[in-house]
Amino acid sequence: MTTTRLAIASALAAALVLPAATQAQGNMERCYGVAKAGKNDCQTAKSSCAGTSKTDAQNDAWISVPKGVCDKLVGGKTTAG
Amino acid sequence: MDPVAGIGLRAPHLAEIARERPATGFLEIHAENHLERSQAVEALRADYAFSVHAVGLSLGSVDGLDEAHLARVAALVKRLEPALVSDHLSWSSFGGRYFNDLLPLPYTEEALAVVVRNVQRLQEALGRQVSIENPSSYLGFAQSTLSEPEFLAELVRRSGCGLLLDVNNIVVTAHNLCLDARDWLDLPGETITQYHVAGHAVNDADGETILIDDHGSRVSDGVWALFADVVERFGPRPTLVEWDADLPALSVLLEEAARAASVGGRRAARAA
Amino acid sequence: MPLALRDLQRAFAAQLSAEAQPALAAEIVPASARLRIHRHHMLDSLASALAATFPTVQAVVGADFFRGLARAFIGQSLPSQPVLAEYGAGFPAFIAGNGANRDLPYLADVARLDWALNLAFHTPAGGGLAAADLATIPADQLPSLRLGLTPGTVLVASPYPLDRIWAASQPEAAVDAVDLAAGGVRLLVLRRPDDAAFVSLSEAEAAFVGGLVDGLSLEEAAGRAETGFDLSACFSRLLGLGVLAAAQ
Repeated sequence: MTTTRLAIASALAAALVLPAATQAQGNMERCYGVAKAGKNDCQTAKSSCAGTSKTDAQNDAWISVPKGVCDKLVGGKTTAG
Repeated sequence: MDPVAGIGLRAPHLAEIARERPATGFLEIHAENHLERSQAVEALRADYAFSVHAVGLSLGSVDGLDEAHLARVAALVKRLEPALVSDHLSWSSFGGRYFNDLLPLPYTEEALAVVVRNVQRLQEALGRQVSIENPSSYLGFAQSTLSEPEFLAELVRRSGCGLLLDVNNIVVTAHNLCLDARDWLDLPGETITQYHVAGHAVNDADGETILIDDHGSRVSDGVWALFADVVERFGPRPTLVEWDADLPALSVLLEEAARAASVGGRRAARAA
Repeated sequence: MPLALRDLQRAFAAQLSAEAQPALAAEIVPASARLRIHRHHMLDSLASALAATFPTVQAVVGADFFRGLARAFIGQSLPSQPVLAEYGAGFPAFIAGNGANRDLPYLADVARLDWALNLAFHTPAGGGLAAADLATIPADQLPSLRLGLTPGTVLVASPYPLDRIWAASQPEAAVDAVDLAAGGVRLLVLRRPDDAAFVSLSEAEAAFVGGLVDGLSLEEAAGRAETGFDLSACFSRLLGLGVLAAAQ
């Protein structure tokens, strides 16, 4: 066994006996809750009743300036390429 | 036994139900929301009966059933052992694309043969009877040769499935297609396994009133009235209050379910 | 002459997908205006499902812009199966390949983080190796051990501070500004019993994890990390997170 390999073996073996300290795992962001479950449904969207109007309700949001948290994201590289 | 009423188990209420274990006749879940993560639901099995309501089997698809999806639904049913399994008289997919809507069928002999075949395949895969729900309709087909109740009665006769009678859907469909809600009272009542009641939206569209099955409010007076007639005609059955959009506090939902149970209870008391 | 059911469903589907064949539709649907209720329900409900799966993207661009983005995506890739929690795998790539990413170049990476969290959340929990599971392996065999990540665990790397963008996008965020030049991140997204979560990895830790994902042995993976890498601490941390699994 080379010195490097020996060092790696002992580092790995040491890890197995380290106490599983929670703070050593780092800050964890809890992101999701069970409230996120349940996307499938069997009702008809109320807004679909606009469905009988002639237009497709396809607004021009696609080409408008987005409004949201992106206003808070500043500096650095804000455009690609 | 007293007729029971149940509520939908929706994610925002899950923690409260798990903690408080409120009294209710049964809990309903949508199969497609719990195919992978059903531990939290399974944990409630000791205290509640379950009704598994599928929304994506697309029983009216001329393409036949999606076997991969069917296998996942069958696995969930095996884990949960629900009292009832159901889906709708509608189609949702064509050519491998899924439209996330309960789309209407023409009520023809050809469509009947397709639905019978698909329901039989479903019952064979689950090893049990399923119940088929009358849908909310926004349009009809000129080529239909059967009424919806005639189509459902024939489906039941040929496939051996049960009926899930959604009273709100009758009101919505009858209004939107200018039909008489009483036509549904000719259904073979002994095959009905469950009732649904729900709220609907009333929309004025191009000067014409359309009812939208949005499950977003209390059950309307018109639906309660028809529900009383239905219970009078066919007798009490387990009844689900459906509420999915603008979900209220759990207590409001339980109140609506108690009202549904009391309608069945009065009928049962008179019959005794 | 009534249409065969297959032709009717094909025509109806074409209407929903906006590949309209108006003459055919007018013939089979007496009230063709009612057809739009179904088209709008389809677009609306699928857009809502995408909003639930990509909450950070929606928070970043706002609800109106998101809806436009979602509708454009839906128009070109309808679901291929009914489970909505599994719909949207192609949304990050769609954002990357489209105008939105020109002005908001971090948006596709935000979408990748949202998708990874969604995927982790819908993966059954458990199956991670604990230190005790490896205790019987002789130390000299540990370097050649090959391990993978538990299902649902995925590394999301980005040249943008995705963790801060995510934090700023939370409903009650008290963040005034996120400096996009703050540097990139390597986030390990993982499944936990009641939720999904992510932790930030150092470059060396990410290199090590990347090596494991590529099928390297622990020794070979450690070789990918820079000198001065604390292998003990990293291995212990990963075991503590429960993200390591026997290699497939």
